[in-house]
Amino acid sequence: MFKSVLYKEWIKTKWYVIGICVVSILLHAYMFMKLGRSIRFAGMVHLWDVIINKDQFIFREIKLFPLISGIVLGIAQFVPEIYQKRLKLALHLPLPSFRIISWNVLYGAITLALVYVISIAILITYIRLYFAIEFVESAFLTILPWYLAGIVSYFLVAWICLEPRWNRRIINTIISIPILCTYMITALPAAYSSCVILILSIAIVVMFFVYISVIRFKDGK
Amino acid sequence: MNIIECNNLTHYYGDRCIYENLNFSVEQGKIVGLLGKNGTGKTTTINILNGFLKPQSGNCKIFGEDSSSLSPEAKSKIGLLIEGHVQYAFMNIEQIEKYYSAFFPDWKREAYYELMSKLKVTPKQKLSKMSCGQRSQVALGLILAQNPELLILDDFSMGLDPGYRLLFVDYLKEYATAENKTVFVTSHIIQDMERLIDELIILDYGKILVQESVGEFMETHKSYESLEKAFIGLTGKY
Repeated sequence: MFKSVLYKEWIKTKWYVIGICVVSILLHAYMFMKLGRSIRFAGMVHLWDVIINKDQFIFREIKLFPLISGIVLGIAQFVPEIYQKRLKLALHLPLPSFRIISWNVLYGAITLALVYVISIAILITYIRLYFAIEFVESAFLTILPWYLAGIVSYFLVAWICLEPRWNRRIINTIISIPILCTYMITALPAAYSSCVILILSIAIVVMFFVYISVIRFKDGK
Repeated sequence: MNIIECNNLTHYYGDRCIYENLNFSVEQGKIVGLLGKNGTGKTTTINILNGFLKPQSGNCKIFGEDSSSLSPEAKSKIGLLIEGHVQYAFMNIEQIEKYYSAFFPDWKREAYYELMSKLKVTPKQKLSKMSCGQRSQVALGLILAQNPELLILDDFSMGLDPGYRLLFVDYLKEYATAENKTVFVTSHIIQDMERLIDELIILDYGKILVQESVGEFMETHKSYESLEKAFIGLTGKY
């Protein structure tokens, strides 16, 4: 049955997932070409100066990609469910309601996680070719909150979309914006290193918000 | 044996009373029509029956279980047609059958494809590219393949031309009678109901006006030529 849910969600979102993958590839290609050009024209010494003395993260272009891809996938997956109240079809399946919803969001979370893990792996591998391990660690800690923001944005969009009432959707959106801003405050290298546990905890709490919307939908709010 | 039992059902939207202390039941093997003008609470009742709305007070039981918390076993015995024949429009005929078949162990693939063969559609045709009538047949075909004991159909005639309404009603009547299925159906097109139902419940604003068999109803109201005219006579034109 889980495979069947994955099948349905894949049919619904495949073009969006492919689009996210293509954007990811193009974005990484752009960043790598830009870095190669900087190395060729300005040299490694200048690059080190920018990274160490000016405290700049040289892959800032990636910052919005996880956030936007999470929002896009969330909209692609859950707007069709709420249109004509199609969510009723899923909730009528012979499974506990929370299980079917969990499977739905699991599809999106796994898909995003796969895309993100591959993206992070490519970026880290590329960085390792030119820089020391300390910089790789710093780069990972810099991009981690942005990728977490992608997962969080997906769960928040699910929470907003599945909410049955428009006024509550607006309230949910207003609550969501500062939550997402928490992950996007700065592009300074490893700025979040002291609060990784906190941003992970927020992400875990947000994952459960979607069930509030489902309970409200089932109560006919 | 009653498949559906609603006791003292009361529901309000804000200050507006939909109904108070509504009581009705549906016996096994019967085709029962819930009739009423727009806004009398037909869809509200369907939503309560399927656990998509909590009534202010009272309760509904389906297969003896509270409708607000139906078990997966009970849900597998209920075929639901949502108003407007809502289905996953992004899927095609084959995909949607494959998707649903995984959830129902007693899935009857041939029942679905038999009905699909009556439509002028290709297996790869998306539901979003079909007419309302064709989509209604896909939704009905999926319910027939599910082979449920109880069929709950909300306003099945919505958006259908007379040809598709007739096809829907005849196919459903034949199936329900042959397989001894219980059907609970709402519609505001009374002509269709006359061909289909055994019993009727007429809802007026806030209450049940009539609950009896179609035969008894027509006997009581024999001055009217048809069920439709009796319904209008009873509830008023507007």
